[in-house]
Amino acid sequence: MSRLMNPDLSRRRFLAGAVGGSCIMGLGLALPGCSPRGAVESLAAARPDATFAPSLWYEIDGTGATHIFITKAEMGQHVGTALARIVAEELGAAWSQVRITHVDSHPKWGAMVTGGSWSVHTSFKALSQAGAAGRQLLQAAGAAHLGVPVEACTVAEGQVSAGGKSVSFGTLVSAGLPEAELSAEALDALPLKAPEARQLLGKSVAALDIPAKSAGEAVYGLDATLPNMVYAVPLLPPTRYGSVLTRLEDGTAGSVPGFLQTLRIDDPSETIQGWGLVIAESLPAAWKAAEKVNAEWTPGPTAAVDEAAILAEGTRLADDPGEGVRVVDHGEIDSVLAGATRTLSAHYRTASALHFTLEPQNALAHFDEAGHCHIHGGNQWQSLILPVLSKALGLGESDITLHQYALGGGYGRRLFGDQMIPAALAARALGRPVKLVLNRDQDSRFDCVRSPSVCRFDAALDAAGDVLGIDHGVAAGWPTLSMAPGFLAPGLNDSGRFDSFSVSGADHWYTLPAHRVRAINNPLAQKTFLPGWLRAVGPGWIGWGVESFMDELAQAQGVDPIDFRLARLDGAGTNGGDGPANEGGALRLRAVLETVRERSGWGRSLPKGSGLGVAVAHGQERGMPTWTACVAEVAVAGDAVSVKKLWQVIDVGTVIDPGGARAQAEGAMLWGLSLALHEGTAFEAGQVRDRNLDRYTPLRMKDVPELDIHFAESTAFPSGLGEPPLIAVAPAIGNAIFAATGKRVRDLPIRLS
Amino acid sequence: MTEFMLNGTPVSSASPDDTPLLWVLRDELDLKGTKFGCGIAQCGACTVHLDGTPTRACVLPVSAVAGRQVTTIEGLASDAGEALKAAWVSEQVPQCGYCQSGQLMTAAALLEANPSPSDDEIVNAMNGNLCRCMAYGRIKAAVKVAAGRGEGQA
Repeated sequence: MSRLMNPDLSRRRFLAGAVGGSCIMGLGLALPGCSPRGAVESLAAARPDATFAPSLWYEIDGTGATHIFITKAEMGQHVGTALARIVAEELGAAWSQVRITHVDSHPKWGAMVTGGSWSVHTSFKALSQAGAAGRQLLQAAGAAHLGVPVEACTVAEGQVSAGGKSVSFGTLVSAGLPEAELSAEALDALPLKAPEARQLLGKSVAALDIPAKSAGEAVYGLDATLPNMVYAVPLLPPTRYGSVLTRLEDGTAGSVPGFLQTLRIDDPSETIQGWGLVIAESLPAAWKAAEKVNAEWTPGPTAAVDEAAILAEGTRLADDPGEGVRVVDHGEIDSVLAGATRTLSAHYRTASALHFTLEPQNALAHFDEAGHCHIHGGNQWQSLILPVLSKALGLGESDITLHQYALGGGYGRRLFGDQMIPAALAARALGRPVKLVLNRDQDSRFDCVRSPSVCRFDAALDAAGDVLGIDHGVAAGWPTLSMAPGFLAPGLNDSGRFDSFSVSGADHWYTLPAHRVRAINNPLAQKTFLPGWLRAVGPGWIGWGVESFMDELAQAQGVDPIDFRLARLDGAGTNGGDGPANEGGALRLRAVLETVRERSGWGRSLPKGSGLGVAVAHGQERGMPTWTACVAEVAVAGDAVSVKKLWQVIDVGTVIDPGGARAQAEGAMLWGLSLALHEGTAFEAGQVRDRNLDRYTPLRMKDVPELDIHFAESTAFPSGLGEPPLIAVAPAIGNAIFAATGKRVRDLPIRLS
Repeated sequence: MTEFMLNGTPVSSASPDDTPLLWVLRDELDLKGTKFGCGIAQCGACTVHLDGTPTRACVLPVSAVAGRQVTTIEGLASDAGEALKAAWVSEQVPQCGYCQSGQLMTAAALLEANPSPSDDEIVNAMNGNLCRCMAYGRIKAAVKVAAGRGEGQA
């Protein structure tokens, strides 16, 4: 997927020019006819420029302040701070003079997506080069100002210095920097700092978003208001798809002060089906009125579907070796299985899980006098929802602007901005700004759920129990099929197209003589609900099966689970890595596993009922692995599982901000624990059953175990951190339960009763 | 019409008596720092102080605060409150930050009643506040720092 974020790098240009006393610098894709002057003026005038699609802009003003425009969503990862550090490092800016601005969805900002743990990984090279290009420009201007050769100048702390004299960025910008243009080749030739020369990267920093969030001053989508706005709350149909709203009448809602009207939503994009809205002057009035209106539906075709039916369909498909798009296929697994002395088979399953962003989905929409649609709210993938909004509204994408806010939790839910559609349709129908808010129950019903999943494993063993090959069927609803089908990937040998996000993790780094992975869409899941990308996505549930089954195989061979893994993490062939982002390959996974073995005191004796379990993961994608190894210590008493401590060793390559990196690891590991033991729901009658905190129970402070988190020292290309530390936690816990009790758990969430 | 003291200033609300205080604060009086999460008093994002006691504003009818003192995150200015806000920054507590107003209000009420709580007392007091980003370790560490008995961990 990372390749989609960096299309055709050969047309990159760096452009710089002066506007209004500032120097504006941009890096992006340039078409013929693109000039620095044109690009800079179009930016300053907030006009889209058809010849330049930037991936980054920053601006240095006459005071020397560097303003870095952030296209990524802030949802707790302090992404603006991390990205700004990368630019500032190479630019030589003084950190105290760096400011960040989160931008709207104007086309001038180029493609916008925040997910997949991609932000640092996909931005690092471009941001470093953009900073270095600016430094080169300032260094030349500084040398001229000081009357010294360029080579004599150093750039640091917002100053160009030579021989005891220095001049600030602000002075140079005020004096006017020349226009500049650098080709892709010139950018690639720019000298970047050696890791040991870095001033900012690798050092902890106070995140720029934290002070406002520590004083109740951060502004989230739900906080957005406009003059003359009204509130809308939905009347949700009994199924996500295919329900028809057959009756919508005010009933006794007219008795509620502030009630205005009901409204039927007809969405030409068919994303929103069967919705009614209740419109009122306040949210409490809208909710009160919603209880008094008369709404009836003809239910859609999935109104009777439950979790068991979805899992049964997944099992049926995964059990059929003919099913599935081939993602990995080497070593003739069918004949290896047929000829094996013995085989070992298992099903691993995961239940539906919710995003449960604490800020419920909401959107504030209005049309200005020119008919331009403005939508206010937090969103992770502006480039995904804009075409959908365009279809729903019959407007060009450039006639719609998404205004970004802090996200009260993302975790993948806000990759899809589907709630914006009814808000915008209502705003146009009413001729007033409309603020649509889902209550918690509705937020859960309307969630793009993490699909129930089934993994089927069949391993061929020789007489000594050694593994000759594994067949792995992976069945679930596919988010990408519903929301972004253009991103489906081609399987091997024309076996079809598949959702790489719903099979990633099955393509692991263990060397096996024969291995096949079959990616299977579960059509019953697909038509019952909108499958979502939930933090860690496929690896978050596939890792549960892969790493638990690895333990079963170690057990079958009578080998220590860590020794068993190390023996297969040999870095042979493509498992040695095939590019700068996964340099070292399985040998780096081996290294973190060896380190966690030491740190956790693996092999020590524990009281009866306690045990240690291990698991590894390679993060979100083979192409940008974050190498993790986790050990869990659990104590089991009856049906109760208590996680005493989690160790995790992480090799993410270069760490941009150690404090922020640790925070992401802490949160992701506790998410892994929460999904393993505390969360999970089920479809009942076509809808998720557990919709609020009385029944859906994420981890609380009393459930937090001791955490031992260690980052490997590395100067390798940075990968990502928001998700990878989640993946190995659940299988480590399951394997620890086996070590403690001899009982193998194969369903997530884990329930011993 | 309900009259009460909000962050030390007399205010009045024209909302119906059964309107949850949360929406009076957010949408009528325009103090957006108090957040809406679950609507059933189980996440703690809407925590305010009612006569000094941490209270869930999402289920509290505005009529119930008539003549009483309401403090929100915007008015949190006690010594404990200031120490907590500073500790939230020094310990780099917030991730998405959406729950943090409620966390701070609950923690402030704890420290105002018990200036030097034990670890167990902190966990017991804070357990009702959900942090979906699960920044629990730092929340606990920051409460200890604010109480003058923690070394922090960020």
